[in-house]
Amino acid sequence: MLTALLHAARQKHATDAVDFPDLPEGVGGLPRLTTEPCLGEACGRCVNVCPTGAIQLSGDPENPDVSLDRGLCVTCGACIAGCPTQTIVADPSTKSAVIHREELVLYSKPTETKPIAALDGVKALGPFRRSVDVRVVSTGCNATDLEVAATANAIFDCSRFGIHFVASPRFADVLLVTGPVGRAMQKPLVSCFEAMADPRVVIAVGTCAISGGVHRGGYADANGVMPHLEVHAFVPGCPPHPWSIVHGILIATRSKATNANHSPQHGRG
Amino acid sequence: MIRVDAVPIEPADWESSVPERARRKGWKYGHLTIRRAEGGKRLLEALLLNLDNGSAEIASTPIIDGGSKFSSVTSAIPAAHWAEQAVGDLWGLHASGHPRWKSLILHEAWPPDKFPFAVSADGPPSPRESKFLTVGGQGVHEIPVGPIHAGIIEPGHFRFSCIGEIVANLDIRLGYVHRGVEARLAAVPLRHARHVAESASSDSAVANALAHAQALEDLWGLEGPKRAAAVRTVALEIERVANHFGDLGALASDIGFALGAATFGRLRGAALGFGQTLSGTRFQRGFVCPGGLAWEVGDAQLRLLTQSLSELKPAAADACEILFENPGVQERLEGVGILKPSLADEFGMVGPTARASGSPYDARCHFAHALFPGLAVDVATETAGDAFARAEVRRKEVFSSLRLIEEVLAALPQGGSLVKTPETLPPSKTAIGIVEAWRGELIHWITTDEQGKISRYAIRDPSFQNWTGVAIAVRGNLVMDFPLINKSFNLSYSGSDL
Repeated sequence: MLTALLHAARQKHATDAVDFPDLPEGVGGLPRLTTEPCLGEACGRCVNVCPTGAIQLSGDPENPDVSLDRGLCVTCGACIAGCPTQTIVADPSTKSAVIHREELVLYSKPTETKPIAALDGVKALGPFRRSVDVRVVSTGCNATDLEVAATANAIFDCSRFGIHFVASPRFADVLLVTGPVGRAMQKPLVSCFEAMADPRVVIAVGTCAISGGVHRGGYADANGVMPHLEVHAFVPGCPPHPWSIVHGILIATRSKATNANHSPQHGRG
Repeated sequence: MIRVDAVPIEPADWESSVPERARRKGWKYGHLTIRRAEGGKRLLEALLLNLDNGSAEIASTPIIDGGSKFSSVTSAIPAAHWAEQAVGDLWGLHASGHPRWKSLILHEAWPPDKFPFAVSADGPPSPRESKFLTVGGQGVHEIPVGPIHAGIIEPGHFRFSCIGEIVANLDIRLGYVHRGVEARLAAVPLRHARHVAESASSDSAVANALAHAQALEDLWGLEGPKRAAAVRTVALEIERVANHFGDLGALASDIGFALGAATFGRLRGAALGFGQTLSGTRFQRGFVCPGGLAWEVGDAQLRLLTQSLSELKPAAADACEILFENPGVQERLEGVGILKPSLADEFGMVGPTARASGSPYDARCHFAHALFPGLAVDVATETAGDAFARAEVRRKEVFSSLRLIEEVLAALPQGGSLVKTPETLPPSKTAIGIVEAWRGELIHWITTDEQGKISRYAIRDPSFQNWTGVAIAVRGNLVMDFPLINKSFNLSYSGSDL
């Protein structure tokens, strides 16, 4: 017992000092597009190496528009490693969650400026206020589950943000889904959602949950959450960083966009 | 390079011949499955491994045209019982003589006529049987749990038959995360296959990428650069250390020892940080590839890694002391969930589970090609077979892995980390990659057809063998000790379901 107490006393503060820190230099995150001109179809390496067809070139074959769908990206880093022009680079940001599926698609030549889902924080607490109970349903290969579980450890300590993981959908505000939702998990997932009380939001965490990822289009019908439930926030990555998952839970429950979905009478006061 | 010999067997001799071959001294059963050979014929194949010389053989016999049956070997090799059930689900074949025949992976959610690997020319499939084993007698009650579990873990269904608080039997129904990984691996362009292979069970991404790369490199008869072999070893051992820390923390959490849970959670974070330093991501995704490594590791990263390692070692020793020397922890883990060595052996347990029940098998020693050459691995064994023994094996392995990482980093070869690999595979060949993943022996088994396309890609995850161990270990224990026993195995659902 004394050893344990001494050990505990010797520990330094474990929790990250800054919320949503950028990833350290040299660390691979999600890819992002820059305005550096691309070599086009003469190169085409990114399109060739991408295992899920997340990257597309269109328009002028010599100076094409590049589009990158983070909802398909499995963060393998092959496009970043292969890009000779730095049109595709690693994005150090851990604030990668979005409210709308379309926001996950990036363009090298933006046609219109799309607002990135910001943390509206205290200004838009909505029905959930500062306490969010999360029920996790896993349907995948457990990498994302482990990162979701990591958000609760001493390093990320998501309870500081009022986020708690609960054992039953009956007391959950958020249904957090991981994995591509193959055939055998479709019914249990929908049952779990139906067991939740309003107001409730659904978050697709990880590329599999968003689109099926590498499993998309296979015989197990594993194409993500969207064919089965309406999704209120998307956290791309394979797996997403724990900070990105916290970001996703916060924007889903605090942003103006999702709060607009909930009428005030459903508020819990 | 693992030598793989082909051993054709007459269908009538299958039932006697395969068990005889598996029981030879130094041999063990590896896996059993079906592949489609030339002309669409189905071949039943059993992979047997020789631990004395690190070679393998594949016994094979044809499924008779239009047939819907094959002879079960489960009565003689209990370790094959799930593999035969999986064949039933995926190919629509019945294993005659299987002592407990039922569906394993595909159940009610799937149409009864859906057999993913069957084609109409195979003839009518044998119907699936989805049922639970029931226990009769006065006062026996059932507790169904899952597929969605209370914690943040993968889905599966556990059906307990209990007498009061004591578990009489546990029937485990998995398959809820069946994604069709094996079929996908044979269908995608070769350059993309490694990403699918990693997703078989992503907490073992390095092990899966490595087994995939080894099997392909063996098919090509190609050897990667020495530096890549060394860095792959470091990557694999980092994965082992991170997950063992995670498991020890989860055990502490399940017995209500919050300090242990928090401390090991933090250590796991540090070990994942090593992976991030080495490869760019916490789970080291996309890093190990056929031919070597997808990108080079710089000297600055290696220096940082060596330095962080020296800081981690004393912290890990400290954490293990507070966990393992705590009488409360010992009390909760000792004598709980005992898996007897004889049963562990008979049902083909692998990895820390097997070693906690006395097995000396560690694929890093017996199939040493996976490792940077010349490394001596300490095989950690215990004999009690209880939850404490399984924790103890993990503790020993953490320190032996940290030592291995230090040794490799201290003598890291210079040079490139990738050799160019051919774009196609040689026709009509078979190769296997065997890796001691952190959960145990992981096998990727690839066969190509006459055109050099992958005709069958089979994965045998360690969990596929070890789930039966959970069912055996929980018998006679209290229901409320199940989470603890389950955690002491910590198996993958996705690796098993594929």
